[in-house]
Amino acid sequence: MHRLYNSLEPRVMDEDMLKLAVGEQGPREEAGQLARQEGILFKDVLSLRLDFQNILRIDSLWEFENLTKLQLDNNIIEKIEGLEQLVHLVWLDLSFNNIEAIEGLDTLVNLEDLSLFNNRISKIDSLDALVKLQVLSLGNNQIGNMMNIIYLRRFKDLRTLSLSGNPIAESEDYKMFVCAYLPDLVYLDFHRIDDHMKEMAESKHQYSIDELKHRENLIQSRLEDEQAQQEELEKHKAAFVEHLNGSFLFDSMYTEDVEGNKLAYLPGISELLQAYKDKFVIICLNIFEYGLKQQEKRKLELDTFNECVQEAIQENQEQGKHRIAKFEEKHLLSLNAIRDESELTNFEMKIVEYGKDITELFNVLMTLEMQLVEQLEETINMFERNIIDLVALFIENVQSLMAQCRDLENHHHEKLLEISINTLEKILKGDVDEDLPDDLRPLFVDKDTIFNAVGASHDIHLLKIDNREDELVTRANSWCTHLVDTIHKNEIMRNRRRVKEINQYIDHMQNELDSLECSDVID
Amino acid sequence: MEVLKEKVEEEAATERAEAAERGEKLLRPLDARREEAPMTQEMLRDLEKKLSEIEIVVPEQPLTFTKDSIDISKLPLSYQSNTLKEEHLLQVADNFSRQYSHLCPDRVPLFLHPLNECEVPKFVSTTIRPTLMPYPELYNWDSCAQFVSDFLSMVPLPDPLKPMVQEEEKVPSKKYAIKPPRDLSSRFEQEQEMKKQEEMKGQEEKQRREEEARLLEVEKANIDPLHGLRVHSWVVVLSGKREVPESFFIDPFTARSYSTQDDHFLGIESLWNHKNYWINMQDCWNGCKDLIFDLGDPVRWEYLLLGTDKSHLSLTEEEDDGMNDNDDVENLGKEDEDKSFDMPPSWVEQIEISPEAFETRCPSGKKVIQYKRAKLEKWAPYLNNNGLVCRLTTYEDLECTKTLEIKEWYQNREDMLELKHINKSTGLNIDYFKPGHPQALRAHSYVSMQPEMDRVMEFYETARVDGLVKREETPSSMTEHYRGRSDFLSYRHVDFGPRVKKLALNSAESNPRPVVKITERFSRNPEKPADEDVAERTFLIQEERIQLRYHCRDDHITASKREFLRRTEVDSKGNKIIMTPDMCISFEVEPMEHTKKLLYQYEAMMKLRNEEKLSRHQAWESELEVLEILKLQEEEDDAHTLAISIYDTKRNEKSKEYREAMERVMHEEHLRQVEAQLDYLAPFLAQLPPGNKLTRWQAMCVKEECLSDFKQRLIDKANLIQARFEKETQELQKKQQWYQENQVTLTAEDEDWYLSYCSQAMFRIRILEQRLNRHKEQAPLKYLALEEKLHKDPRLVEFLKVFV
Repeated sequence: MHRLYNSLEPRVMDEDMLKLAVGEQGPREEAGQLARQEGILFKDVLSLRLDFQNILRIDSLWEFENLTKLQLDNNIIEKIEGLEQLVHLVWLDLSFNNIEAIEGLDTLVNLEDLSLFNNRISKIDSLDALVKLQVLSLGNNQIGNMMNIIYLRRFKDLRTLSLSGNPIAESEDYKMFVCAYLPDLVYLDFHRIDDHMKEMAESKHQYSIDELKHRENLIQSRLEDEQAQQEELEKHKAAFVEHLNGSFLFDSMYTEDVEGNKLAYLPGISELLQAYKDKFVIICLNIFEYGLKQQEKRKLELDTFNECVQEAIQENQEQGKHRIAKFEEKHLLSLNAIRDESELTNFEMKIVEYGKDITELFNVLMTLEMQLVEQLEETINMFERNIIDLVALFIENVQSLMAQCRDLENHHHEKLLEISINTLEKILKGDVDEDLPDDLRPLFVDKDTIFNAVGASHDIHLLKIDNREDELVTRANSWCTHLVDTIHKNEIMRNRRRVKEINQYIDHMQNELDSLECSDVID
Repeated sequence: MEVLKEKVEEEAATERAEAAERGEKLLRPLDARREEAPMTQEMLRDLEKKLSEIEIVVPEQPLTFTKDSIDISKLPLSYQSNTLKEEHLLQVADNFSRQYSHLCPDRVPLFLHPLNECEVPKFVSTTIRPTLMPYPELYNWDSCAQFVSDFLSMVPLPDPLKPMVQEEEKVPSKKYAIKPPRDLSSRFEQEQEMKKQEEMKGQEEKQRREEEARLLEVEKANIDPLHGLRVHSWVVVLSGKREVPESFFIDPFTARSYSTQDDHFLGIESLWNHKNYWINMQDCWNGCKDLIFDLGDPVRWEYLLLGTDKSHLSLTEEEDDGMNDNDDVENLGKEDEDKSFDMPPSWVEQIEISPEAFETRCPSGKKVIQYKRAKLEKWAPYLNNNGLVCRLTTYEDLECTKTLEIKEWYQNREDMLELKHINKSTGLNIDYFKPGHPQALRAHSYVSMQPEMDRVMEFYETARVDGLVKREETPSSMTEHYRGRSDFLSYRHVDFGPRVKKLALNSAESNPRPVVKITERFSRNPEKPADEDVAERTFLIQEERIQLRYHCRDDHITASKREFLRRTEVDSKGNKIIMTPDMCISFEVEPMEHTKKLLYQYEAMMKLRNEEKLSRHQAWESELEVLEILKLQEEEDDAHTLAISIYDTKRNEKSKEYREAMERVMHEEHLRQVEAQLDYLAPFLAQLPPGNKLTRWQAMCVKEECLSDFKQRLIDKANLIQARFEKETQELQKKQQWYQENQVTLTAEDEDWYLSYCSQAMFRIRILEQRLNRHKEQAPLKYLALEEKLHKDPRLVEFLKVFV
């Protein structure tokens, strides 16, 4: 009757429907009474069942942040949507709906059990995010291509699969194919796959599977290589000397330098250029190695610092814990004593005494904390000085190396100019060199032109070197400031948290005492 | 007789070294300890002490050993008489003894040829018979000596001053010389020791005073009138062979080894082994400390026989002593007539120790050793039906009347009890168990076996599902420690209230003490956030209060707390109150929204109440377990069954039964096989009325029938072969006829077919012919053989005999 009624009228999820469902499926009996009294927040709901509701569109579920199990089976849903917020979902049932494509599941990384039984799906895809998938039910759909099964190879935890009722399941080879391509599968179409079957499937499809595996391995190793390279680069970046372990900087100087490239064809220039490049690269390598070394040093410094700070904090915490434990022991006794005390004067005296104890505890804890703050302050300042010195030294040395680069460039520039002028003179004298490339000729018109050309080239080179230097210096400095800032901030946060914690605790104790007082006064 | 035997056995076990000693024993079992009256003072003095200890202990013991206890007649001839060579040796010894007493009139007469159990004089060296025993324990001097000491029971001499013997064991037969224990003491411990010593100095003052008082007492008790007069015999192991680094003494009664420098040994009179006899010519004014055990040195050791084995000794000694002239002196000075004389072979029977006797060790399996203020009792395994093998009792006073503590060692107990330690002064008992107790008990210390008393039980926690390490009980509480549990429980403390009196209907068992408080502690579960991981929970059951303390976060110093109260169940209007905010007081390090909700608190409380029930149940089960362990222990004490190794074929009833069953099955199998052989008489016997004995006539009939039947069979067989033969022949003739008639019209194929048929038929006929001939030959033989068999058939033989 219910079903019939619903079938007449497709529904959209709304607040009322959800409330009703939550209320129905919430706690029972006494707990239910409480729940009604207080109301249930959607975000506290862990499991929700919305079957046979004739729902057409999934909606209004964003409040159920902590939902782990959601049943939406036997509705008329056509599109998977509105589930993006339910990142904790482990169990999702969308069977017996009208879904045509798998989509909208990209945020559900915790999903382990997905049922899309009896829908209109024709292709398995868009499941890449579901790395924990263990159970996948895709029976009674329209999947017709065997290649869909290969897609499932990426789910390393997949153990149970159902595909019966699809066009592919009618194929003679279906079972063998699935078993061969998904060797970790344990249950297929609600049957356990026996070892014999597995072996047969394996031997039957061995050739194509080996090929597939080979391809997969290739891709895997390429990915790993890329990753390793990326990591290496990150490491260099952390040392601020990325791309300095080669001729990268030198090459970049010439990429935008049109005149320079042209001038390179002048006789005698190529040898000059080669010598220049060699020297330049050596300096770059020096910078690179120095940078890595300095990075190690900074890291060591930072690690030592962190370790020491951690130790200090730990020790301080132990002391605090010890104090509190001692207080708590006493606290239980005195609370009982106060409760048992019948005489008013004694009672009040004890209350006062207890109050004093609490204040004393507060003082002790705060003293401890202040001590720690002072100690840490000192350490942090020391570290700050050291790290700034380290970075300054690093920058200074890099700058001097960069200056060498510039000297090289200047030297090269002079030589180039000299050769250029000589060549110009030769040309003007009509002593034309046959080898001179055609595009060089326009440069050798007069002295100004050649001067400008060589100068422009020189300027570009210097600019590149300066840019690289500036980049390095800025980044190193900003890293340093950022680090110091973070440390300071963290320390302040820590201190705030601790003070808050102490206050909270003391307040709680005081409250307890007060309530005791009140209750006794009332009594 | 028995005792003698035991002694003999014991000796055998001990190999050569011990054999020497046994010689002494064997010869004169009575005088386990002999003494010579006019010994050197020192010598006597040194024997004294050792003996004094032992002798003082056992004096009440009556002499168990009398000569008539030995059945002389059963002893071999060698015991009862001397061979010519032995007689000769005795003469030599006499001669030697006379010269000796002439030369050294002050010294005690030599102990050379005591009477053996058959009252026959035997030279001491011939009482030693080196024997190799099949027990690996006997290959080391220490375990061997231990065995001998266990095996000997000491009987004091009627006169402790009478006979005296030293025996010398040239080279110990122990191939595993002991090495000095490695110095494992740590420097740290030494430092600690230093500190301790400083501390102790203060105490020492006090102790010294006590010492003085005690010394007085000891002196009073310790004045020994026989000091220096007693005679003892013991074993000396000389250095040199088998990697023995230096000579040492072994006391046969205690199996302890002593350095030759030991104060207890006051001197040595003479020394012998199975080859020779030496007299000590050195002065023993300083005990044995200055003695040089260089038996090749005739100045220090006067030998009786110019033995063959002396030479190698002198070689080793020469270097040590630098006594260059000793060879000459020997050769010149001693009796030349003895030169070629060898020690005769031992007259003693080879010693045999049965595995049972070896296991039993002590005579009758029991040995008691009395020490100063202590008594050690040993039993053979399985002798006591409660598995007791050793008991050490220490006393407060010298008279051994006030017991201080008792230690009892057990073996082969089914409950794996290993050691029972009873402290009499405190009344505390501690039982130690080996792994394998049904409840994995490791140790149990208690004052009383009554339940609900002070006790501590320790367990092998890895053998227990619940990981229980220790359970301590007092009359009003029980504390349990756990380790390695999946729920991280590490501690549970239960306080009990006084037992509520119940109606008489209920028995005591169904009236457990009310639980007042349960405290449980949990170690940190790394999978939970600290704020949700309970560190300690306390159920105050009578106040209906539950306190929770959570673990502390890593960077915090305070931990969350929560307290649940169950108050009135009904409000003023009579409605049931489910949950109110004041029923849960909580302190949260970081307040969270959802924990403020009543529903959350209600659910938490419900869960806790369930867990409270579980914990109470657990406490109750623990109590039950204690009862069970106590019951088990009681049962075990009452009716102890001892575990028997499956390899112990003698004691293991099961394996014995099994083995016997196997043997029985084998036997039956064999019988069946015999029966299964063809019974050619069966069909004829079956025709006779069953049960009746055969009459002679019947027997004859059976035989005749059997024979005639067999004859018929033979004839039938011959006829059959004959018939086939004739048939084949006829067929062949027919075919031949047919061939001749149609020869003209036949095709080549048919002809081929005919020819092959002919050759086959001819072959068959020939075979049949051969068979028939052989049958004819053999039939009479077979017939005769059957007749022969029937003649011998056990069922017919008696009837047929008469007629044959």
